[in-house]
Amino acid sequence: MARVETFYELLRRQGVSRRSFTKFCSLTAASLGLAPALAPKVAHAMETKPRIPVLWLHGLECTCCSESFIRSAHPLVKDVVLSMISLDYDDTIMAAAGHQAEKCLEDIRTEYKGKYLLCVEGNPPIGKDGEYCIVGGRPFVDQLTDMAKDAMAVVSWGSCASWGCVQAAKPNPTHAVPVHEIVKDKPVIKVPGCPPIAEVMTGVVSYIVTFDRLPELDRQGRPKMFYSQRIHDKCYRRPHFDAGQFVEAWDDENARKGYCLYKMGCRGPTTYNACSVTRWNEGVSFPIQSGHGCIGCSENDFWDNGPFYERLTNISVFGAEANADQWAARVGVGVGVGVAAHAAVSAAVRMTDKERHKSPPMPKGGHE
Amino acid sequence: MATDSSTVPHIAPAPDAHGGEAHRHLTSYYVYEAPVRLWHWLTAILVFGLSVTGYLIAVPPVSAEGDTNDLFRMGTIRELHFIAAYLLAIGMAWRGYWAIVHGQHARQIYYVPFWSLEWWKEVWGMVRWYLFLAKKHERWVGHNPLARASMFGMFTLGSTFMVLTGFGLYAEQAGLGSWQDTLFGWTLSLFGSSMALRTWHHVGMYLLLLFSAAHIYAAVRDDIMGRVSTISSMISGWRTFRD
Amino acid sequence: MSTTTPNGFNLDNAGKRVVVDPITRIEGHLRIEVNVDDKNVIRNAVSTGTMWRGLETILKGRDPRDAWAFTQRICGVCTGVHALASVRCVEDALGIKIPENANTIRNIMSLALYVQDHLVHFYHLHALDWVDVVSGLKADPKATSDLAQTVSPSWPKSSVGYFRDLQNRLKKFVESGQLGPFRNGYWGHPAYKLPPEANLMATAHYLEALDFQKEIVKIQTIFGGKNPHPNWLVGGVPCPINLNDTGGIGAINMERLNLVSSIVDQSLAFIEQVYIPDLVAVAGFYKDWAAIGGGLAGKSFLSYGEFPQFANDQSNKSLLLPRGAIIDGKLTEVLDVDLKAPDQIQEFVTHSWYSYSDETKGLHPFDGVTEPKFALGPNTKGDRKKLEAIDENAKYSWVKSPRWKGHAMEVGPLARFVVAYMSGRQDVKDLVDSTLKTLDVPITALFSTLGRTAARGLEALWSAKQLKAFNDKLIASIKAGDTATANTEKWDPKSWPKAAQGAGFMEAPRGALGHWIKIEDTKIANYQAVVPTTWNASPRDAAGKIGAYEASLLDTPMANPEQPLEILRTIHSFDPCLACAAH
Ligand code: HEM
Ligand code: HEM
Ligand code: NFV
Ligand code: SF4
Ligand code: SF4
Ligand code: F3S
Ligand SMILES: [Mg+2]
Repeated sequence: MARVETFYELLRRQGVSRRSFTKFCSLTAASLGLAPALAPKVAHAMETKPRIPVLWLHGLECTCCSESFIRSAHPLVKDVVLSMISLDYDDTIMAAAGHQAEKCLEDIRTEYKGKYLLCVEGNPPIGKDGEYCIVGGRPFVDQLTDMAKDAMAVVSWGSCASWGCVQAAKPNPTHAVPVHEIVKDKPVIKVPGCPPIAEVMTGVVSYIVTFDRLPELDRQGRPKMFYSQRIHDKCYRRPHFDAGQFVEAWDDENARKGYCLYKMGCRGPTTYNACSVTRWNEGVSFPIQSGHGCIGCSENDFWDNGPFYERLTNISVFGAEANADQWAARVGVGVGVGVAAHAAVSAAVRMTDKERHKSPPMPKGGHE
Repeated sequence: MATDSSTVPHIAPAPDAHGGEAHRHLTSYYVYEAPVRLWHWLTAILVFGLSVTGYLIAVPPVSAEGDTNDLFRMGTIRELHFIAAYLLAIGMAWRGYWAIVHGQHARQIYYVPFWSLEWWKEVWGMVRWYLFLAKKHERWVGHNPLARASMFGMFTLGSTFMVLTGFGLYAEQAGLGSWQDTLFGWTLSLFGSSMALRTWHHVGMYLLLLFSAAHIYAAVRDDIMGRVSTISSMISGWRTFRD
Repeated sequence: MSTTTPNGFNLDNAGKRVVVDPITRIEGHLRIEVNVDDKNVIRNAVSTGTMWRGLETILKGRDPRDAWAFTQRICGVCTGVHALASVRCVEDALGIKIPENANTIRNIMSLALYVQDHLVHFYHLHALDWVDVVSGLKADPKATSDLAQTVSPSWPKSSVGYFRDLQNRLKKFVESGQLGPFRNGYWGHPAYKLPPEANLMATAHYLEALDFQKEIVKIQTIFGGKNPHPNWLVGGVPCPINLNDTGGIGAINMERLNLVSSIVDQSLAFIEQVYIPDLVAVAGFYKDWAAIGGGLAGKSFLSYGEFPQFANDQSNKSLLLPRGAIIDGKLTEVLDVDLKAPDQIQEFVTHSWYSYSDETKGLHPFDGVTEPKFALGPNTKGDRKKLEAIDENAKYSWVKSPRWKGHAMEVGPLARFVVAYMSGRQDVKDLVDSTLKTLDVPITALFSTLGRTAARGLEALWSAKQLKAFNDKLIASIKAGDTATANTEKWDPKSWPKAAQGAGFMEAPRGALGHWIKIEDTKIANYQAVVPTTWNASPRDAAGKIGAYEASLLDTPMANPEQPLEILRTIHSFDPCLACAAH
């Protein structure tokens, strides 16, 4: 096989000197918990390693994850594709079509058994034998199951693959399920967001390539480095939240001053993502900075935690919908009426039925 | 179903086990020790305070005006909520300890004799009584079975739920790896998302408020009509049966 | 067996069946099957959309103010268009008037998408149909540099060194044996006509465009907070404007406006100096494709019109690209289109995997029904676990069949431009005429695969210029003291009537998009979307009329049916989006 452009060469081409490359390798060695003497080994690996094959499958989705990915500024997506990974299957951009495209999957699967990364955008619908998503004449869920068998690990791109997203919102007509419900015997790295931030996506990929290991995950299976804190924890409008200064209506005085969007339904306090720090599109902005609350797009079930412009989510009880406060008001009225009526009847009975309160039995100790 | 032996009647004569004329005078039992009473009233205040601050967290007051630097309105509301939350949790932990080391009355609110048919009959008896279907009801030194059921189901489970979900929410700000996260972080996974956790924490408040409303009504009513001291027993510790 | 469809096409499903599944370099999942005769000419074409998510069902019962976010997720490629159609249909239903600035900002966001989406389509989805990347390895960097400097004299990246470096990088890449997205491509296929130098130049621009497209979308990020999937608002736009007062740093301020202006300028430069020259250069080598792939083009075009110059005025006086329909090839007769007329826009499901109570009839979207029903016809080869050939006489696609007054219509940049041209819009006429002159082809050359691709490029240029105009308009309006961006009079659902219905339109990059909403008791009672690719990719209707994709493939000669480059060319010229089409 002909020589492969390695990670080292990529760095060199980007103007990184031999010296800083060596330094980078010893830092890498250290962060991997390796003895400094092993640094040259890391360097050697980076200089010679072939690019890791990546197969990028698409289920039920809107392709916004791919669109986001190609917006990556650091690293540039062309560098990711030309020098970091070998994107051997991605039906959104690949040259081949039809059976020539499907052959790429089979070839990589056999040539790189256990060594390729399976990236999944979108999710498999499992209702009615998977007929709501057919790729290459087969239900997508079958393609996913097959390709996952020999993968090294699986990356769930976006909220679709990670949680189910919009097509899994009630009543989930196609019975779409997240990838980890199908792939159970492989590490699944969730990179949620609708879509995820470009640099978070390429950050996860370059982490795996650079450090030769999978990122550390939190309880929900998301890389800790990007998903361990809420938008609210690092939101620049937080001082206004703490002060109690809120946007009360769209385009009001407070909106123009950039007050907190909590009352407009902002889901920042309940959303784990990197937006308030990494921001979007090379740091240009993020939803809150542009005046709209966070809708919680990286969260499980965020579509069913609406309405988006209310702080309290709707809870449906026997088909009727209202938020907790509205339900409480309804129940509260009922309880109030009940108590008043009970009190009235009690008083009436007390006046009329003297017997009722006479000679009650002896007090008992009650049950153990 | 034995009469409680640990409760010594305050005033003789000892009641006739089968009721009747013999005890047509005041009989008192020492039911609630001082720490329990203190705990009760503290809890009552905390639940009330947590509900007020919690509601204001969910539905904040109209925007504060002035210098952002000098204002900490939302911050203060949250801080009060958290202080009250810690006190409530500590109180509950203490009350749990008390139940272990003390007798029957102290344990009543922690479980119900779910498998005892007898007990269910008693519950039914009380339900009939409150629905004016029965002319008489039995009496208990501790909680009546219906009260016990609601204390267990709504207060004990309800407040435990609030502490679990509340600390689950608190873990979010305390951060991954904090002790709150280690102990309570799982609640988030249980509910599926942070928003759902918050929603259920919010719903839990109404469960407790519902309990409080029914509980206070029943206490006041019984005090007047039940010929038993209830409110004062939570003040003095003595339960007095008036006939 | 040979038949003639009611819309005048001959179908013959004898001969060899060729299946292309998946069609790649599109959005979503599309399957194309054709029959070729013994000369490898396509005689029958079947377009099957193979995905459905059920968004119309999911929307029922929800808050109409949230609908934009759900519908926006219909597609992340044409991101924002469904959101805009959605807020417009809600505003229409509730009679909400938006501020002038909100209209301008919405136009700026949509135009930015036009530029970016067309650019990405041309370079990243379509180019590999015309450009043989591997052949570029044989190019002479010096000759490539000369070529680049002739076609685009003022574009800076054209030195010999630049192309040599690129070539070296490509060589290394190819020699690595890990071809990535270029794996198994149709390299060396006889239908590729560009000389190696043109291939190398185009490959360079493929990479430059990849770098540049991410800049254009920052306009959406500034006003909408992110891209893909920026934020929108019923009643206006969510971003407030604050130039002089406290807190202006957190709103649209001078710095933000400058950032927009700078991106607008760069976009225009890229389109003028890279996209258009490349388009003309490539087209010059493929003039034969000006006679292939016409289908419905030149016969039936539909455009809802777009870019209202004035807020709340959606008449042709206000729309920069006019609304109108052309049928039966009567080009000079542009007919009025009414989104609400029950007999104009209708969807059929006779050959789609849905059920209606009476499938011989179409339904207007206000009364639209989306009830899934998957079944394969008796002549299917294979089964649902392994589909070998579909039976187009039965139901065969997740895409419905929309019809305008019973006609199958083509929508898209070409349709928009022809409707504008025939409506006498001078800006469009000038643009089209001058390009036809440069290429030295007649106007009928537009009704082809190449015509569609060219129209898209011209529209990108037109859009970049309009982008500049609307940006100036925004600044002028702010200068005149108008900073309003949202109307909240009817924000509160308590102010809504018990029942209301509305239609919202949007000319999306791929064509005419409509959303229809029915609101009852402040909740969505019915929601229907009829999307550009629904029109173009539609299967046959009750009468047997075929849609734009199927029509366009007929009579196309293939060099080698095993390597379906010709099918890809024509289908890609529509820029398919199947997530949009079936939603
Ligand atoms: C004005 C307000 C209140 C009054 C007058 C009151 C009165 C009483 C009385 C009389 C008892 C004894 C009941 C019996 O023996 O069956 C009691 C027990 C209890 N109360 Fe309250 N209460 C009040 C508020 C609350 C509140 C707000 C809570 C908590 C939500 C609460 C929680 C409890 C609990 C858990 C017990 C059982 C104590 C034990 O067995 O250790 N109370 N209360
Ligand atoms: C009787 C007990 C309690 C009541 C009634 C109560 C009530 C509430 C309510 C209504 C909310 C607002 C939820 C929303 O946004 O919809 C809230 C928030 C919260 N509560 Fe509680 N709570 C109680 C106990 C606790 C406890 C024991 C903790 C433990 C630390 C706690 C911690 C929190 C936290 C962290 C929040 C979120 C505050 C924020 O993110 O700004 N709560 N509570
Ligand atoms: N067809 C389509 Fe779209 C567009 N343009 C939407 O309306 O791409 Ni996804
Ligand atoms: S996660 Fe969101 S953005 Fe990504 S494919 Fe799904 S719907 Fe689209
Ligand atoms: S805008 Fe949202 S995330 Fe930011 S402080 Fe307010 S509530 Fe938190
Ligand atoms: S809506 Fe999504 S993009 Fe970020 S700010 Fe909220 S997680
Ligand atoms: Mg539809």
